[in-house]
This record gives sequence, C-alpha cells and structure tokens, in this order.
Amino acid sequence: MPNVAVETVKLTIDGQSLTVPKGTLVIEAARQVGVMVPHFCYHPKLKPDANCRMCLVEIEKIPKLQTACSTPVAEGMVVRTATTVVNEAHKSVLEFILANHPLDCPVCDQGGRCDLQDFSHEYTPTTSRFIEVKRVFQKEYFSPLIEKQMNRCVQCLRCVRYCDEVMDVKALAPVNRGTMTEIKHFGTHELDCEFCGGCIQICPVGAITSRLSMYEFRPWMLKRADTVCTYCGDGCQITLQTKDNQLIEVNSSLGAGRNNGDLCARGYFGYHATTHPDRLTTPLVRRDGRLVPATWDEALEYVAETFAQLKLKHGAQVFAGVITARCTNEDLYLFQKFMRLAVGTNKLDSSARYGQVNAVRALCRIQGTHRWPVTFEDIAAAEALLLVGTNITEANPITGLRVKEAVKKHGATLLTVESLQPTVGTISNIANLAAHHFTAHPDQYKPVVLGLIKAVIEEGLADQPLSQKAPAYLQAIRDAVHALSWPTIEAATGSSAASFKEAARAFARTARAVIIVGAGVLREPGASGLAATLQDLLLLTGHHGRPGCGLAPLAEQNNDQGAVEMGTVTECLPGPCDLDDQEARARVSALWQEDLPQGPGLTIPEILEEARGKTLKALYLVGEDPVGSLPESARAKEALEGVEFLVCQELFLTETAQMAHVVLPACSYAEKDGTFTNTEGHVQQVRHAIEPVGESRPDWEIFSDLAGLMGYPLEYGDAKDLLKEIRALVPGYNLPGPTPKPSRPDHTAVDRYLQQGYAEDLGERYRYTPPVKAAGRLTLLVDQSLFHSGKFSTKAKGLLHLQAEGAVSLNPADAARLGIVEGDRVLLSNELGHCRTTAKVWDRIPAGLCRFPEHFDQEARRLLSVSIDVATGVPYYRSAQVKVEKAQ
Amino acid sequence: MLKEKYTTEIADILSRYPVKRSALLPLLYLAQREQGYVSEAAMQEIAGILKLTPPQVYETVTFYTMLNLKPLGKFHLQVCKSLMCALVGSDILIGWLEKKLGIKAGETTHDGLFTISKVECLGACGTGPMMQVNDDYYERLTEEKVDRILADLKRDGTSALKTGPFMWPEPAPAKRGA
Repeated sequence: MPNVAVETVKLTIDGQSLTVPKGTLVIEAARQVGVMVPHFCYHPKLKPDANCRMCLVEIEKIPKLQTACSTPVAEGMVVRTATTVVNEAHKSVLEFILANHPLDCPVCDQGGRCDLQDFSHEYTPTTSRFIEVKRVFQKEYFSPLIEKQMNRCVQCLRCVRYCDEVMDVKALAPVNRGTMTEIKHFGTHELDCEFCGGCIQICPVGAITSRLSMYEFRPWMLKRADTVCTYCGDGCQITLQTKDNQLIEVNSSLGAGRNNGDLCARGYFGYHATTHPDRLTTPLVRRDGRLVPATWDEALEYVAETFAQLKLKHGAQVFAGVITARCTNEDLYLFQKFMRLAVGTNKLDSSARYGQVNAVRALCRIQGTHRWPVTFEDIAAAEALLLVGTNITEANPITGLRVKEAVKKHGATLLTVESLQPTVGTISNIANLAAHHFTAHPDQYKPVVLGLIKAVIEEGLADQPLSQKAPAYLQAIRDAVHALSWPTIEAATGSSAASFKEAARAFARTARAVIIVGAGVLREPGASGLAATLQDLLLLTGHHGRPGCGLAPLAEQNNDQGAVEMGTVTECLPGPCDLDDQEARARVSALWQEDLPQGPGLTIPEILEEARGKTLKALYLVGEDPVGSLPESARAKEALEGVEFLVCQELFLTETAQMAHVVLPACSYAEKDGTFTNTEGHVQQVRHAIEPVGESRPDWEIFSDLAGLMGYPLEYGDAKDLLKEIRALVPGYNLPGPTPKPSRPDHTAVDRYLQQGYAEDLGERYRYTPPVKAAGRLTLLVDQSLFHSGKFSTKAKGLLHLQAEGAVSLNPADAARLGIVEGDRVLLSNELGHCRTTAKVWDRIPAGLCRFPEHFDQEARRLLSVSIDVATGVPYYRSAQVKVEKAQ
Repeated sequence: MLKEKYTTEIADILSRYPVKRSALLPLLYLAQREQGYVSEAAMQEIAGILKLTPPQVYETVTFYTMLNLKPLGKFHLQVCKSLMCALVGSDILIGWLEKKLGIKAGETTHDGLFTISKVECLGACGTGPMMQVNDDYYERLTEEKVDRILADLKRDGTSALKTGPFMWPEPAPAKRGA
C-alpha cells in the first residue's frame, strides 16, 4: 500500500483510551481493546446493517443508546458498553428474540457454539413477558446439503448479505416482513446456488446448518486440525473436525489462512472423498495376472528388488517417474531426490506439467522470478484488474472472491476476457462485474489481448520512461500491432475497436493493475507466448515491476507451484533452478553429498512416448492416472502396457493402477503432515486430522523406505526434517507469517527481456492467423466445473449431490438451432470418436462453444486430440471441434 | 411474455431510473396489471430484464402487500391492520368481513368476487378503520357501511361510498377487474 497518512481519532471505550483510524466502527474499536460488544447482524466482512439491535452501547452526549456496529468513531467519543442501561437493553433485545426462538438446543447442531446461547447466558433474560404462542414456520425441504430451521432464525440477515456482498450469488432472500421474515431461495424451489457453505458458517445460530453432518456430533466432541484444502491452487485454510477418527465437518475461520474464512462448495462439502470406502488399504502385488493383497514388506522388497535388477540390466535411463502435484512439498521433494539418487535418472515429472510450467516459464522469462509479484491482498486493492481465460468462479473461487471484493468494495475497474456471457444465473458470473467484458472462445484470447495492446499504443497510453529505456522494444511492438488492422481484430474477436480503446484507457490510467490468467490461457496452445504478451501489456502501461501490480497465473492444483519449486518438473532442480545450471547442480550435490545423474529429463508426453517405444522399462506413478485422465488419442494405455514394471502409488485403484504390477496405498492430505505452496507462492502447513486409512502411508515415507531397501538411505524423522532440507535449497520456505511476501521482479531479467529477449518470438506472438474451423461444428471445451476438482472429488458424496454426472452445456441459440432442449440426449462426434451425453442449456455459454466437465469425461475424452507445446512440453487437450446433434 | 407485449412501456420505465434495479416496483406493477398477480414466470422475466436473481425479485414481492403472489378475487379488500386502524377497531372490521363473506383473511370467495387481505398502513390514519378495494379507498368504516359497499360492489362493480385515493398522482392506467 502506498504510504498515505491515515487520519486517526482518539476515543475512550470503557475507560480505556485508544487511537484508531478515522471511519472505524465503534464495535471494531472496542474489539481492539478487548471489549466484545454482543452482536448478531454485525460481521467484519459485511456492511453494517444494524438490524438486530444487540450491540447497543452508551455514548456520552448522545441521549439514546447507539448501535456500535453502525456508528463510526469520533474524536473524543466516550463509549460505555457495560452499564446497567446497556445491559438492560441487551436483555430486552434478547427477550424479543427469545419470544420466538424454540427451545431445541439439545438437538441443534449449533448448540455449544451458538451466539444466542452465549449471550443468553451472559445477560440471563430468565423471565419472558411474552405469553403469545411462538411463531412456527412449516418445515420445508431446502436443499440436499443445506438445512434450514427457520424457527431458530434471529433474522440478522447475515446469510443474505454474505451471499450478495461477498459471494455475489444472491441466492437467498428474506421473504415477508417483521416476525414472519424467513430466508428462502425462490418461491418453493429448492436452493440452487454455489453451495459455498458461507450461509451455514456465518449463521450465528442454528437456523442454517449442514445436512452432511446433521445430528452427528456436539461441537465440543470434535477434534480440530487446521490444514489446507487440496481442491484448487488457492490454498484455503480449512479446519477438519473429527470425532473418533471420522471426518465430521469442515470449517474455516475469519482471519485465518489466505481465504480469510471463505470457502467454496468443494472445500466445504467435499471432504468425504478421503474416507471413501474404495480407498486402497493394503499394498497390492500382481500374482498370476491378478492384483492380490500383500504386506508392506513384501511389496516394497519386490519393488526394490525389481528396480535393482532392471537397473543392473539396463541402467538407470530406463526408469521414469511421475508424481501428482496434489502431494505435499515434502513428498514432491523426496520423490525427485529418490528418482535422482536411488534410481539415478532425471526422467521425472509432475502434473504441474499440464499448465503450471507455462505459467512459471512466462514469469521467469520476463520478471526473472518464478512466483507471483502480487498477493491476494494486492488483487483486492487493485484499481484495475484484467482477467483472461480464468473462469475464476469455477476454477479458483477464492481468488475470485478477492476480485469481487476489489470491484464491489473498493470500486476497481474490471476487464474480463472470458468464455462467458454476462448473464445472471444460479452461480455468480464474474463478467457481470466487469466494466469491459470481451466474450471470447479460448482461441480468441490472443486477438483480444493484441487488440488491447494495439489500443494502448494507438491511444498514446504507452509508458513514457519505457520509450527512452527500450525504444527498440517499443518500436517492435508498434510495428507488430500496426501490421494488425482493426478490421482483422474486430473480425477475430467480434468486439469493436472503440471497445478496445475504452478498455485500454480504463486499464492503463490506473496506479495499481493486476492481470490474472487461468487455465483458459495456460492449458491451450500458445500459452507461454500469450502470458508473455500480457506482460508486454503491463510493461507498456508502466505497471510492470510496480508494487501491487503484475501478472498472476492461477494454479489449478493445490501444490502446482510447490512441484515446480521442489524441482519435480523435469527441467528443474530444487530452487527451482535449471537442470543444466552448473552452479545449482554443485549446490544440490554438495547438500546431498552425492553426484547428480547426468542425462536428459523427460516430460510426461515424452515418458509415454518412450514407454510406447519400449525403451522405458520401469515407471513409478504417484497419484497420476494417465489412462484415466489423458484423452484416448494420447494412447496412454497402449504405452503403459509396454512398460515392464509399473508401480502405482495411489489412494484408489484407478484405471492406471489396475494395470500396475505393484500398487502402494498412500495417505490422503487429511492423514499426513507437510506443506503446500499455493498459487501465490504462500507456503502453508498441512496437518493430519485422522489416522491413515487402512495400512496406507504418507508418500514420502514410502520413498524413504524404498530408497533404504535399494541401498541409498534417505532417512528422515518426520516431514519437518524434510522441510529443513528443503529450506537449504529452496528460498521462501521458512514458514512465513499470515501473508506472503510477493517476489520483486529481477531488474536484470526485465532489462534483458527489454533489450533483446523480446525479439526471440515477438513476431510469432503478435501474428494472428484465424483458426480454421469446419462449418457447423461447435468448439467443445472439457474443463473444470465449480463442484468438482479432477477425478478425486467425484468420490465425495456431498459434491455428488451437486453434480453427479457430466452433461454438455450449450448456448440457448445453438441449442435452438440444433433442436435440442434441456435434458435431451445428444451425440457429440468428430473424426476421433463420438460420445453420448445429456444436454444442458446454459445462457452463460458463448455461442459456438459447448462445455463438458472434465471430472466426468470418461467418454468425452475420446473426442480430444493432444498437441504438445514445442517449448514447454505441455500437452494440450482441452478443446476440440465437434458436431452436436440430437441422439436418435 | 411481458417483454413482447409491453416493449415500449418497459423501455419507458427503464429510462426513468439511473440505477436499473429501481425499475423493479413499476415492472412488478406492470406484471400484476397483466395477470392480476405476479407469477413466477413474470418474476423470472423481470429478474432477467433488471439483471437481478429471481430471489431478489421474490423478496420484494413478498415485502409489499400491494403485490400478490396468487390470483385474487375481482375485488381485493385490503384492510389496514396497522396500529392506528387497530386502535379504532380494524380487527372488528376484519372479523365482520370474514363473517359476511364466509372466508378468512387471505382467502377468496367461491364465486371469485372477493379476497380479504390484511395489509400494512395505507396512510389514512386519520380516517380509520379503512380498507382499499382495488384502487379505491373506503374510510371511517362501520359494519353498515361495509354491508352497503359489499352489496354495491356485487351489483355495480363500484360503490359511491369510496373516498379516494387522494394521494394517487393520476388515475391508474387500466382498471383491473372493472
């Protein structure tokens, strides 16, 4: 934040004097001196509403009691919160609330952590003067996950306000008036919303509760473990609450973690995936063609022996390993160390390959560092935000909340380039908050960005110092965009030149600007080029390198960033440093007291290629399921069939694991300790909440034991030991405070880019060739939906209530043209194959596009082809051209 | 669909407000004029026009007693139940109406003529007890007066005893039920 002198005000609360910034509310000031003013409707995240009247306080020189939640402090104010008058007032307010509140505390899930209970206890309104019959609302079904008990409602409207102000969903409404006010969705319809669980968490009483854990516990029976959610790269802190080693519920607390108490449906309702009955509980070894249970000793000895034999026979270069970026940093670090030392090969990769590698590469290339130059706080405080291909509400919901906060609370100007139509629906739509929205198909992101850059240049918005510092760079861009005519851009994007100019002005003329890119860019061809071009935009407008400004690529998996930093992508050593960086190699081998293996690394597609060519003899897959997740055209199954010895370390018996020779059961995040690094590069502690399911073990322990059996002891006492070693190699792993320190761009790298680096591919990046599209086809996008994350979440019963199967979403105009209505069976087909599914007509889908959730893509995957990025080795397989027709 | 039928009227309403959402009440009146009540489809359509969610429209409809969520009788008897009228006997008036028509407040007579509703203050506190029948006020009501009004309404569709409304800026555009 820029250093602006904050005006302060001095006041006295209950005899304690204090100084607070002007505009602070009395209730907040009181909290700072440890005085808790009772309240129901006040919440730090919400605008004051002052409807519950519980927070009345006495303020000198004001004749009547005032609501502390809506009164700002004033110079010399003298506040008293505990006088007889105030206590009487609190008592009366409670008398009114209790006039209607039922006495069902013994069966209320909130009992024991209920504000109304606590205040009743404190102010003991023992006798009620009300003789009237209590108001009774008829019980009605609300939703499969959220339960409503309106008789308990104190009508503070926190749920309604949270749903609107924070989530921007507006699914809840207070209907009717006065005592008869109740919270409803729409008429008699059951609730249809984002299911973030925010209403449950923010309800001060037991009016809105979770049905997943209903009647299963009393709050004081629960054991808490603060850990980190694994369902996206946002890295939300969650509290897993357990009873007798059973996961009961998930909470999050205000002020804790990067999410500051907010969660999404996946985080709040998705916790059952880890304890699904299908979890692997013992090691499995293939005997006579069948996988049969074995002891750990048998399984590990078998793996170690076979590895040793193969190594002796063929050398270390016939081995490869892939690990999922859902693992902890400790797991990822030890995996690469295991592969490099115990096995002796650099042929290892992780699922960060699928997109994060592009992000990190683009950051490194221009700003010289591999982490975000901004934090979530910078997003909330930005004056201008540009979102490109993020689908942020569904992919990274909590980062999305920071964007919503920036726009709704702080009035930021939002520009969106998204595959979305700005329509209102049951889940929030970020395009509705945009001042300038460009509806774009994934292949249109590039021309839109080029249009913005052209507008910046032509409107004279380019940064002045830049023209002196890097005239050649500026001229190159000037020439490049000059060669692109407005009619070309207008035809490519469907947006007018005027709209680009307006958007460019809004973006360039701000002091703090952040660009966020998501999977729509990072997982489509041309990803790292477009990410670099977006940094050109920041450089041109003078935002690059300024505090609070920069490019923020969103990570899809919880530890994508960690996987890169641990050196678990094939081109990197821990640090991350280049695999060929001699200095880094020396540093690593000095710490490991061992020489690093020579020889090239292999990316996931190359590993599959070698497997297909039968040059790969042994493959170690940790939590990766290429057969079940890559499109059929990647021919992963065929490739893995050619591997002599396949070891899978998994939670479930996936399609790949079914082919394995040995399957080792691993612990889920709920059962292990360690750290995750979130999308903004914040390292956070993961703590186990339950004991390992069955005989499953933390991944790093398995690597450690295997290494020992292979004669390369890699021994660690616990995950903390590993973290100590990581700290020696990777900067930024001293567990930080509550907020990360954003990386500062390295000026030499920026200068290198401005002087000559840009020239490498500028021509290519600024050239636009319209894609060739067959007539009558739609672009199918197989991507992330709000209610699931990968295939893992499809094991969570709560999330299955929200989305249990795949359906193809179509734009209403396309559907009408094809004669398809909601619920119809449809046939999607192209040269690669066909798939039958159900149609969903969704007005937020742009014309010409259709979407299918990747979590249920077992059949839809047949339609996808794979193309591989020449520069980064990233396989792209999210979109395809398909013919859509009504199934006969 | 309202949009097709009232294109110019909706455009006119929208043009009056700098904030789109402000047009909610006039649009709901429009919908009610069309059907006699606000249907779910109308709420969804209005939500679409104003970029609101259906629950936001629904909460507004339920807040105002002037907006109805189900079809009503030809004459909507809206009896003020607020404090001033209550002090001079609005509950007796409601009881009387209920007895005369054989229905409870909130219900409609079998012949579809009358619906009784208890509503919040209608701003005629000096002349209570009072009721509003469709767009007309009837004030200082007594049992005899009510009998005459009901008979008049049944026979003529209106009654000479009506006294208002006084605060209505101009006659309502279309007479529902007349």
